[in-house]
Amino acid sequence: MDQKTREDLLKLFQGKLNEAMTFYLETCTRCGVCIEACHVYASMGQVRYIAAYRQEIVRRIYKKYFKARGKVWPSVGESKELNEMALEELYEAAYSCTGCRRCMVYCPFGIDTQMIMSIAKLLLVGAHSEPEILTLLADTSIEKGKSLDIFKENFLTGIKKLEKDVVKKWKMEAGETAIPMDVQGADLLFVALAGAHSIIPTAAIFNAAGENWTLSFFEAVNFGAFVGDPARTQLILDRIVNEATRLKVKEVCICECGTAFRVMKQLAGKQPFKVSSVTEVHARYIKEGRIQLDRSLLNGVVTYHDPCQIARNGDVIDAPRYILKHLTNDFRDMSPDPTYNWCCGGGGGLVALGEETLDFRMKSSKVKADQIKRTEATTVVTACENCHTQLCNLNDHYQMGVDVKFLSSMVADALVQN
Amino acid sequence: MVYFSFAVFFVGTGIRLVKIFGKPKQSTSLQIYPEKRPQWLWALHDTFLFPSVRKHKPILWIFLILFHACLLLLVIGHLELFGEFRIFQMIPHEIFLGKGFVGLILCVALMFFLFRRFLSPVRELSVPEDYYLLILLFLIVLFGSQMDWARRWYGYEELLVEDYRTYLLSLLTLKPELPYNVINSGHSFMLVLHVFFANLFLIFFPFSQSMHAFLSLPMNKLRRG
Repeated sequence: MDQKTREDLLKLFQGKLNEAMTFYLETCTRCGVCIEACHVYASMGQVRYIAAYRQEIVRRIYKKYFKARGKVWPSVGESKELNEMALEELYEAAYSCTGCRRCMVYCPFGIDTQMIMSIAKLLLVGAHSEPEILTLLADTSIEKGKSLDIFKENFLTGIKKLEKDVVKKWKMEAGETAIPMDVQGADLLFVALAGAHSIIPTAAIFNAAGENWTLSFFEAVNFGAFVGDPARTQLILDRIVNEATRLKVKEVCICECGTAFRVMKQLAGKQPFKVSSVTEVHARYIKEGRIQLDRSLLNGVVTYHDPCQIARNGDVIDAPRYILKHLTNDFRDMSPDPTYNWCCGGGGGLVALGEETLDFRMKSSKVKADQIKRTEATTVVTACENCHTQLCNLNDHYQMGVDVKFLSSMVADALVQN
Repeated sequence: MVYFSFAVFFVGTGIRLVKIFGKPKQSTSLQIYPEKRPQWLWALHDTFLFPSVRKHKPILWIFLILFHACLLLLVIGHLELFGEFRIFQMIPHEIFLGKGFVGLILCVALMFFLFRRFLSPVRELSVPEDYYLLILLFLIVLFGSQMDWARRWYGYEELLVEDYRTYLLSLLTLKPELPYNVINSGHSFMLVLHVFFANLFLIFFPFSQSMHAFLSLPMNKLRRG
């Protein structure tokens, strides 16, 4: 690595050093309380997957270039030079971490490993060593935001085709639109994923509840956040924020996507609208009596997988359980405390990388598979696209023989038409 | 050297804290849910009682709590060497609380911390800094406690609290003077080593992970929201 590249990368590093990040980099005492926290370590038993070890890979570079000891006494903290080999280590640490923040619960100081890994991811972007596919996907999203008019016609035609499927789930009066779009002054803007399964069930539920809603032109998922690029993350986010402000909606409802929800709810700052997850909105409809559900459709034990970014990191914990109590009489929690729920093993962009990470994802999530088996459930429900894909893969790999379902589609299937 | 290390300790720690707290604040939430209110009280709870350690590493927790509590008692003990503080004497005691056991507990706890670092996987996590700090603290506590133990348990009464007071006050008033008893007692080399290692620790403190003493509370507050 030449001097110029290193200086550029260190500038990126410097830009990340706000107050909280400095706390996290200065404080670790390597006490080892976090050892059992990471599902990758719990499943595979290799030291490099312990949270403190991952952090130390970034921290060693910090000690070398941002602390006086890097010059005076580099060996005391095992400072390390930033070079090609360090980049490889950073890649290994950052893309084996799903950013679930389970270790943050264990740490006596509350060090956020996901945040430290964001430095690693940013350095990789700076050195053009990140997984290209994630950047590519992020750029596609950004491009769509810039030139909406080109995409608009095609998108509208595509959505029109879905409408008859929505009506199948919930009959509507003649003249009503099953999937309203571009509605000025709607109460709720629904941001879905690019996939019929993400739009159809929820559209039916909105119609059943008589919601004054409108569908966003953009997909919720934020590949910028996966690849750890703050600039791209912001651009992708801005598309939705701008649309919501233009339509003057009161509430932005994010589909079943953990990343999208966390980025919108917590990383977007203060907005003139309320941000909710689709799960919260559905629970609200049940509570207000706006929809009725048929409880007799499900047989066997049902369990719920808390998506990390929605539960532990997003505070949507009671709503899915409330909904499930209206869908089944035999609900069992996976862990007594949702804060300690194991990550599915697919977050942080790992599922988005597809086949490339499949082997690692299966090996690293053995604890998750075991946890599901212990509940003796026949149906595993979740509310996140990534988790759903990963749980389906786990189901095949460990031959668990369970049904993996989206909460929203279960609600849609159980709608009682008056 | 005493003056130098105290200067490094106070000025260094001060400057570092000002610098760290002067950095731009994190603009987004770093909270973990579910939330418990009032958050500041839970943050204090997390900072001073280490509930996550108690849950996951109960034996380590016992030693950690003993270590930090005894450290606090020792700080009080050292302050009392300077002069009388009525507030500390609310419960009347001989100077240096704990009849010598405080130092003993600290020695045992430090040994425990050190030896657990030799075992995998904490061994792989540790860096030299962790060992240096523990060894340094052990030496400080050992030589310091020796003087206390000798006085209490072996009846070696050559060095009295009054002698330390004279010495320390002379340091404080910038007129260093060593009383006859301090130099010529059989314990002077213990004292010299104790002070020497303590100085090293004070100098290293602002640049080491010991800063967690100051940063733990704000970090726990971030987690609690």
